[in-house]
Formats: sequence, structure tokens, C-alpha cells
Amino acid sequence: MRLLKTTLAAGLIVAATLPAHAATNEDVEKSFYPYKTGVPTYEGLSAGLVIDQSNADRFKDVLDPAMHEFISQGWTKITVGETTSFDLHPNYVQATRDGLGKVKLGEKSGEIEGFVAGRPFPEEPSMDDPRAGEKLAWNYKYGYNWGDNAAIYPFYWKYKDMNSGKLERTIKFNFHFLNYMHRVNQEPLPEIMPNPSQMFRAIYVQALEPFDVKDTQLLIHRYENDLKRDSAWLYLGFQRRVRRLASGQVTDAFLGSDVMIEDFEGYNGRINDMEWTFKGAKNILVPFYNHNDLKLSEEHKESDGYQFVEMGDKGNCFPQITWQLRKVYELENKPKDPNHPISKRVHYIDAQTFTIPRTLTYDRKGDLWKSWQIGQAHPDHHLSKNKGTGVAIDDSFTMIDVQAMHCTTGQFKGQVDPSLNPARKFTVQNLRASGR
Amino acid sequence: MFLDSKKKQPGRKHPVIHAALLPAVIAACLSGGQAVAYTSEDGSVQVNGFVENATYARRHVGLSKMRNTVQIEGSKDYGSKGPFSNVSFVGTFRATYDAVYDLNDDQFGNKAGGSIGMESVGGSGTTPWGASDISTGVLGFGFDTTKNPNEGLISLGSALHETEGGVGMGVPVRPCDKDSRGCIDDYLDFDENELKYPEFNDRLDFLREAYLDATMPTESGATWNFRLGRQQVVWGRTDLFRVLDVINPVDYSRHNIYDELEDIRIPMWMATGEYRMGATETFDDLNMQFVWNFDKFRPSNLGQGGTPYAILDAGSFFRAMKNCWDNGCSVANFAGGALSTDFPAHVIGIRDVHLPDWSLSNSQFGVKLEGDYQGLGFSLNALTFRSQLPSLRGVVDTADNPFTTAIESEAFDYLIAFDMHFPRVNLIGGSLDFYVDDIKSVFRVETAYTQGEEFANTLRPELYSESDVFRYVVGWDRPTFIPFLNERRAFLLSAQLFGEYLVDHERQSVNGIEVGIPNWEINHIGTFLIKGWYKNDRVSPQVIMAHDFRAHASVIAPSVDWLISDNLRLTVGANIKVGDGAQEFDDCRACNPFPPFTGAGAPGDLSLRNLAGFEPLGRFRSGPIGMAQAEDEFQVTLRYRF
Repeated sequence: MRLLKTTLAAGLIVAATLPAHAATNEDVEKSFYPYKTGVPTYEGLSAGLVIDQSNADRFKDVLDPAMHEFISQGWTKITVGETTSFDLHPNYVQATRDGLGKVKLGEKSGEIEGFVAGRPFPEEPSMDDPRAGEKLAWNYKYGYNWGDNAAIYPFYWKYKDMNSGKLERTIKFNFHFLNYMHRVNQEPLPEIMPNPSQMFRAIYVQALEPFDVKDTQLLIHRYENDLKRDSAWLYLGFQRRVRRLASGQVTDAFLGSDVMIEDFEGYNGRINDMEWTFKGAKNILVPFYNHNDLKLSEEHKESDGYQFVEMGDKGNCFPQITWQLRKVYELENKPKDPNHPISKRVHYIDAQTFTIPRTLTYDRKGDLWKSWQIGQAHPDHHLSKNKGTGVAIDDSFTMIDVQAMHCTTGQFKGQVDPSLNPARKFTVQNLRASGR
Repeated sequence: MFLDSKKKQPGRKHPVIHAALLPAVIAACLSGGQAVAYTSEDGSVQVNGFVENATYARRHVGLSKMRNTVQIEGSKDYGSKGPFSNVSFVGTFRATYDAVYDLNDDQFGNKAGGSIGMESVGGSGTTPWGASDISTGVLGFGFDTTKNPNEGLISLGSALHETEGGVGMGVPVRPCDKDSRGCIDDYLDFDENELKYPEFNDRLDFLREAYLDATMPTESGATWNFRLGRQQVVWGRTDLFRVLDVINPVDYSRHNIYDELEDIRIPMWMATGEYRMGATETFDDLNMQFVWNFDKFRPSNLGQGGTPYAILDAGSFFRAMKNCWDNGCSVANFAGGALSTDFPAHVIGIRDVHLPDWSLSNSQFGVKLEGDYQGLGFSLNALTFRSQLPSLRGVVDTADNPFTTAIESEAFDYLIAFDMHFPRVNLIGGSLDFYVDDIKSVFRVETAYTQGEEFANTLRPELYSESDVFRYVVGWDRPTFIPFLNERRAFLLSAQLFGEYLVDHERQSVNGIEVGIPNWEINHIGTFLIKGWYKNDRVSPQVIMAHDFRAHASVIAPSVDWLISDNLRLTVGANIKVGDGAQEFDDCRACNPFPPFTGAGAPGDLSLRNLAGFEPLGRFRSGPIGMAQAEDEFQVTLRYRF
């Protein structure tokens, strides 16, 4: 009897760690090319349609709750664009094929086995799979966000009073991203060596303006071992010192903005820090567009002619872009830390790219606190250097604090350019050397 | 009332115009005539900067600072040049004008000081400067009061304590062009313009930074980074304290220990070479830095006697002593420990300062190995340098014995006549930082062990001795939510404990007084910072507290920082001290340098030692916080950045 119980328990653990079904090449095709045979539709919805206060309720089913509320309030409107395929780089797709049947979750949250590169779990998530949410989180973590490396160079953040529209602060940054492991496209492959701590990814941020934050730099090292805490350092120009950051500071407003370090790119933290729950797949409008087809801002025009996304509507808090009806996975994450300043996030993950264009953040009481929107631009309709990179380009953002009626907007010049992201830029010493 | 109503300014136009200049510039910027930063079209040239007015008022004194600053920061990137990449030039220019010397000149300028009396507890009670109970007519005592008159003086330490039976001295307090008494050539000899405009001197201090940067890649993937020019080199991981951060001397005259080190490090002409290995098979990051400080030696500026900020009030003591040597001086309660005494020149005091000349052997060299290993940041440091603080060596060989009619011009053991030296110090140390997830805290540790530092020591015939010193700081940083103050934004809590251990400390209790080295053998200073942010970090209140455990002295510095716009920042704060204040120590009145006239025993005879007072050595026990006990301030700073 005891043997039977033991065997049963072991069997349940194995069942939980294995995929619901072994992923196939067909799953890979469906995962990466969901619009090959057709795009989602919704009655009355077509490219060029404007959803505003007058017709918001009619399209409530294809809007996330916050956007529906914003439009209903008359704060903004949505211009619908044609749904297009954002094909990721073929090397990433091939790496996914190469990994078929080899990847599985470990016993504990934050553990994965057999992963080399590509999308770890390309199969369609199942509501019956208790760990489906975790698998989506892994797909996001090892997604082709920015490819093997990229820079947002430059990157304008603006803090605004949403009621008055008053611009309170403008900060100019450079952001740099580099994958140390699971690289599929740019040499060295698949890993930058030596890599003694098994670092997976690094993010380096440099503030350029205004001059009270000039030379402030942030460096984040994320490790392959998801159970290992990120290392983070901050260089403050007025102190000329590098300070190691405590993890709590990744849940604080970054330089006074409405964005936490943990919010970067949709979610910027460990998988193990959260409980992940898959809430289902649906087709909703998300901010995907062709940058070059937009009416762009005349402000901050670059010397090469590049123009940033325009902001407008209430408080100038809303990117003036177009939205596509796309398949998303609704994924809820709840912090395990009871002292975390939020109760949960609800992510709407784009099923094709595994980027996170929409996230709703709820405060400790469970009330909606922030609406986080990251606009994705097609690389073939952006800077010429981005053409063919197979990277969905983060191109605009707005983080709206609906309780404080305050927003932070972001305007990107995303560049998939290895020369901007050498490994030496992602060292602690570089903070000291670059600081003045 | 910080601002004394008696301090109303007379209708002098010139200083007021000067003082109003900077606020006017800021006002002009606010009203639309904005000064703007410059960035060239290709981005290779950048110029920005700020204008600032810092106005501080001190309790019972009035204005203690009205510093107007213009700082211009520029850089030029040259790209690749020959074997070098990322070649760039960085320059920082700073000019300040401190109007306090015009607006409060009866405290800190040409009208400062006055006539003083010297306590004589066994004689007349109080005697005027130059007319002590032991004076002209008594053996060789007395000095020429026409050269050294009773004017422009204050009693040493009078802001903090009464003489109370101890040693009392007079400090000339006017700028050195107005009153040259006690001014120490090439060290503390600032004239009025040098005090008002401190950057404009023969060391070109308006040039805060001017250096060339260049990177040289190597075949191994490592890079060499070179930096040559006037610069600050910052070591260590500690706030406020200088344990490893000792390469650049510091200008304490700007605001004692309370300004950001960034603003008070004195830039030096240096060359640094840094070999950046990056990640290795073992370390996540590894670097070796070599620092060569080839600049002519500069000591830290401790603040001249008569200026608003003088750490430990040491500058006042030095000035009093230098005047004693050069011109003679009155000393309270000296003869027999009870009678005011007029010493002639060349008996007691500071004779000379020996600033190291420029030479290769006097240059300073440091090496640092720094890296990161499995989440542990570390550095190992070694530095050979010249002490930036003076050592007073009682080795003067041209002193006179006033009890005789002859001019001896010789050395006397235990005589309080000194030359200032800046001994070579060798330092080894290291630092660590690491994060402890269980308590969401970052810890910082910094240590240094030095050889060659010198301290006053009344047990030694030359009145100083050398001691190895071990210093350390343990720091703790934790972002912490305090929901009843702010539900959405964590406060930064940061605490540090600084410890200092004088390994070769010497002290004895004799006849009820302490003799030997006045500094504490082991002492600790604790600091605590709590800082919050509101309104998207545009309003930031903070409180910094520090406590010197042995000195029983504390400082509390609350402030609020308001970022009015991207360009304009207003900071309002206070700096309040509480504690025991002045402390007593053997003052060497009973050191018996001239037996049998000053005592029956041998020079330094311990059985004779029975006199202690606040001056001059009590300052080393009170420390920088205790010695500034009377310097409570209210502070307003407005900075416009462009």
C-alpha cells in the first residue's frame, strides 16, 4: 500500500513537470505563424475604424478592461490597424524546433530543464495544465524580445499630470540589452564566454538628461538560475560611486517615474518571485503597428531624420498609434512576497511574439493601480538597420497611474545593433568608467 | 532666531550687488531668459552646468555662508585615435563668490574680531592681550604689542567654551591681507579675495577637472583605460567617511564635513591606468587600477582661523600658534597654571610648515584590484601617499628660553614649539558589498590599515608619535516601506558604523588628568539616514543623523529637496548639534620644558603633570561634530541646472 502511494505521488510530480502533450513541429508553426492562414476578426471591426467613447461598449470584448474604461471616459480613442504577422527571426524559430521534446519544467517554480534556445514551450497552453502560466512566463523570459541584443538609443521618458497635462519632467536615457546565453543570431553563439556566474541577460541604463540625473547609471544582471536573485547596481553621478541595489528597489518608482524596474519590458524579474496563472487565450486589440506609417512627433527629431511616436489625448498620456486585433494569452502574476507593493499583474501576452504589450497592475487592496502599455513596431517598417531582424521593436509606452492620475510616457529609438552593446558595457566597472 | 537682528547689513552697494548677482541670474533663467546646455549636432561636444546660491545662517552669528557658484561642465568625444578608442576630453570649471565676507564682515571679514582678555585665575582675573600678569619686565617675557596688537582677535574656542582655568590663546581672525598674523605661508594664508573667490588661486582651482580619457583594446578582449589630467579618483563604498577615499585631499573650508565629497575633493593632476579584464573563468568582473598622483603635494584645507568652517577649529589653533612663534602671544592661565603669560616670539608656537616639494619621490602611487565574485563585490587597495593632515612635531631647534637673557636658539624637549610635517603614509585596505536577500539588505564593508600617521602625544619629548591605524566602516542599506508615511514608495534606510583604532595608542592617567595621545584609542561614529520621496520623486525629505560615541556629540540634519522643474532645485535644511561639546586633556602647561624654571624635575616629568583644559588638545576628543557644537545652522540652497 505504501509503495502504491509513493508510486502515485511520483507519477503526479512527473505528470506536472512534463508538457501536457509533447510539442510538435505543427505546434511550432502555429505558435510562430498564427496568422498564416488568416487573421482574427470581430464583427464590425476593420482597419481604419476609430473606437471612441461613442462605440466603446460595442467593442468591449476586444478591449482589455482598462482600455475600455479609458475610452468610455473619453480619455483616448483607438484607431484600428490591419493585423500583420510579426515574424520572429528564423534562427530563433529553428532553435525552438531543435529543442522540441527536450524541455520540461523542474519540480519547483523557477526551474527548467533541457532548455538550449528558442521558445521553450511552443505548444498551445492548456487551461487543464496547472503549470501553464509558468510555461508562458518561461516563453516570455526566453523570448526574442530585442533579440540577442539591442539598444534604445535614445529613450525619452516624460512625467505628466494627467489631469492638467502639465509636463513635469523629461528624462533622456540610453538603454542597452544583451543576452549572454541562448543566443541564436549574433556571434558568439550560443553563449558569451567566459560567463562564470551563468548570467543569462544584462540590462544597462544610462541617464543623459536633465543634468541633475546625468550620469546616473543602472546595471542589472539576471542569472540563468531563476532561483538566484538578480544583481543590480546604481551609479549616482553626484556621489561618483557604484551602489549595489537591494532587491526592494526594483519595486520602487524608477527615478520618480510611474515605472518600477520590475516593470521593464512588461515584467522584469524572476519567475520564482511570482505565482503564474494562465487565464485563457483571446483576441483583443493590442498596440502593434508600423512606426513609419504613423504621424510622428516633431519633437526630439534625430539628426538622421528619425522621429519618435507622438503622444496625445488626455494629459498627453496616450501614444498616437494604431492597434491590431491579435491573439493574446491572459496571464496573471501574483507576488509571493507579502510586502510587495502590488497584489497582482494581469499580462496580455502577444501569442506570436511573446512580448507583453498590455499589463494591468493592481494595488495591495486589489484595485486597479496602473495601466502599462508597450507599443510594438514591426522591424521592417522602422529604422533601416532593424529591417529583417525579426525583433518586435518596443517603440512607445505609457504607464498610467489611474489612482494618482499621473502618467509616464516613453518614446523609443530602438536599434538592433550589436556594435552598441559590447559585453564590456555590462560590467560594474563600466559604470565607474562611464561616470563623470 | 538664526539671523541675529543686530546683523542688519549696512548700505554697502558693492557686496550687495555681488550677492544679488546669482539669485538674479537664477531669476532671469526662471523668467524665460534661460541659460541652455549645448550639444553639438553630432553629439560629440556637450556643455552644461549650473548656477547656485547657498545661503546659510548660524545661530547667534548671522550669515555664515552666501556662496554663489557657477559651474560649467564640458566634454568632447574624439572617437578613435590611433590605437585608442573612445578618446574624450572632460573639463569642469567652477567659480564661486562667497558674500559672507562682505555681508557679515564683522564676523568673518575685515572687521572681524576685536580686543580680548586672557584669564588669569591666580592673578588679576582677566588681563588684556599683551598685558598679562607675566609680561614685559619679567625675565625675557613679553612681546611687542605694536606688531601684535590687541585687535582683530578672538579667544581660541570661545564659540564653544569659556577658558575655565585652562589654556587660552588669541586667534587673529581677519583675512591675511588685512592681518597677516598667524598666517602660514602656502598653507593657511588666504587673503580676502581668496576667501571670497576660493577657486582663483595659484593652483588654478577653478579648473575642477580637465582630463583626457582613452581606451586601448587588447587582443585578449581586455581593455586598458587611461585617464590623464586633473581629476578625482574615488575609492571605496562608504558615504561620508574617508577610509579608502583618500587619494584626493579635501576642502573642509567649504562646509566642514557636510558637503558632498564630490564637491569638496580637491582635484589633483594624476594619471590612472585601468586594466579591465571583464569576466574571467572565476570572476564576473575583474579590474586592476594603477593611480599615479604626480601633482605637487596639497594638504586638505582645514579652514583658516576666522573663517566660517574650520574642521576641529584646527585652523584657529594653528593661526594662534603661528602668531605666538612669529610675534609672541598672551596665554591664559599659563605660568604656574594660573597666571596669564606673555610669551616672546620664538618660544612657543608653530615655527614652520614643511610642505613636500614636487619631486618624483614625493609623488603618490596606488593600486586597486576590484571585481565581483558570485554576487560579492570586492576591492583590494594599496596606496602610498602623504598625509593630508599636518603633524605637529615638537622638534624645533631654534627656540628660546624666556627665563634667561641669552638667546639659546636650540631644541627643548616637551616644548610646545612645532614644525608642521606631512608624513608619508602607507595604506592597505579593502572593501566588500553584498546583498542578503532574507533581510532585503545590502551591506557595505570598508577597511584600511595605515602606517605612518602621526598624532599629538604629550608623553613624548617631541610631543608626537606615530601610530598604525585601523579604520573600518560597516554600512547597511535597506529600502523599507513605511505605509503610514507613504504606501507606494519605499524609504531608504541607511546606517553606517565607522570605527577607528589607534594601534600604538599611548595614554596614562596622572594626577587626575589624561596625558599622552588625546585621540581616543578606539572610537566609533554611527550615522543613520532616512530618505523618502513624494510627488514622483520631486519632493524628497530626509534626515541624516550622526553620533560620535566617545565624544558624546551628535548632529541632526533634516532637509527637504524640492525639484521645482527639470532645471530648478530648492533645498531647505538645518544642521543641529547636541552633546557634551568641549572636552579636556593634558595641555602641557606642566610639561616642564625649561627646568628648573618651569619645575624641579626633568622635562616631561609625569609627577608634575596636573593641568588639563579644553585647549588645545581637547579638540581631538570632541571630534569634528563636538567641536562644531555651536554651529547650528539653517540652510537654503537654490540651484538652476542647464
